[in-house]
Amino acid sequence: MDIEEEKQGSLVIVSPIGRVDGVGAPDLEKRFSDIAERGDFRMLVDCARMDYISSAGLRTLLIGARKCQQNGGGLTVCALQPECRQVMEISGFLAILKSYDTRDEAIAAQAGADGG
Amino acid sequence: MLTLVEEIVLLMLDDEGSVLPIRETTMEYVVAGAVLMDLAFANRIDTDPEKLVVLNTQPTGNPLLDGVLARIVESDETRSVAHWVETVARHDAKSAREGALEKLIERGILERRDERFLWVFESRRYPVIDGRAEREAKLRIAGVLLSDDFPDPRDVAMICLVDACNLLPDIFSNREIDKVGPRTEQLRKMDLIGREIGGAIAEIERSIMIAMTQTPH
Repeated sequence: MDIEEEKQGSLVIVSPIGRVDGVGAPDLEKRFSDIAERGDFRMLVDCARMDYISSAGLRTLLIGARKCQQNGGGLTVCALQPECRQVMEISGFLAILKSYDTRDEAIAAQAGADGG
Repeated sequence: MLTLVEEIVLLMLDDEGSVLPIRETTMEYVVAGAVLMDLAFANRIDTDPEKLVVLNTQPTGNPLLDGVLARIVESDETRSVAHWVETVARHDAKSAREGALEKLIERGILERRDERFLWVFESRRYPVIDGRAEREAKLRIAGVLLSDDFPDPRDVAMICLVDACNLLPDIFSNREIDKVGPRTEQLRKMDLIGREIGGAIAEIERSIMIAMTQTPH
């Protein structure tokens, strides 16, 4: 699994590419941790190129969201592909994690929340 | 830190060290689920709604978990979480529960007390001699269920186990139980192994209810 990262204002956009499973999830967790260590606690996970998520991946998202929340920020997801959306729906993650259909929508919502 | 198996086995005991009234099959499914969850947290297995896969065949060093890991590794095909919950419940849950009790004694949390009842019947209890681990576990569960914050994944797993064997009334008052109901409902879906345990136990209970309500011909 590859991970791309970019920053837009105060928002860090993390894009996992491929499978977020027991093999890839530790890398994503490390990336969340590195971003948090820099003091950035507003994260958007762009799932457009994430084609699979397992329990380990879900746990990683939860750990990331918890860390952001504990530090006054937040973690949202966008562009979920059908298979991943289904897993996140079944597991109730979409009931607690804010999800947007597109990256633009998520960024606009973030800008709105920032008052910009 | 206690493993999930040790923690749930500890919470299954009452103040005198006797097992709370939990159906034997429920206890087996919950202990089986706890073992699988511990293996998942040790990065040895991973799951999705369809299957359970092995990530790492290396033993964890905990004999309670390694026997089950070996069983999964030896399996010739990839199977569902439900299959493994049932298999571990049938073959390993009893020994895992006994092993967890031994470990809790070793850790100085419980002691073993063998007694005779009416001079004939032997009974074994496990009174708590250090209540800190139990109190801390209950406080953590209460904290997660009474807040709206993102929970720690390990606490989510624990809540699935506690809820599956109906131990929440041991932690909350009747009034609080109603209050935490929706949050419990939300969290118990979040762990895929926990979901399977809940589903399997509900299925067993449904079968028992049907059997009990059927009129004999």
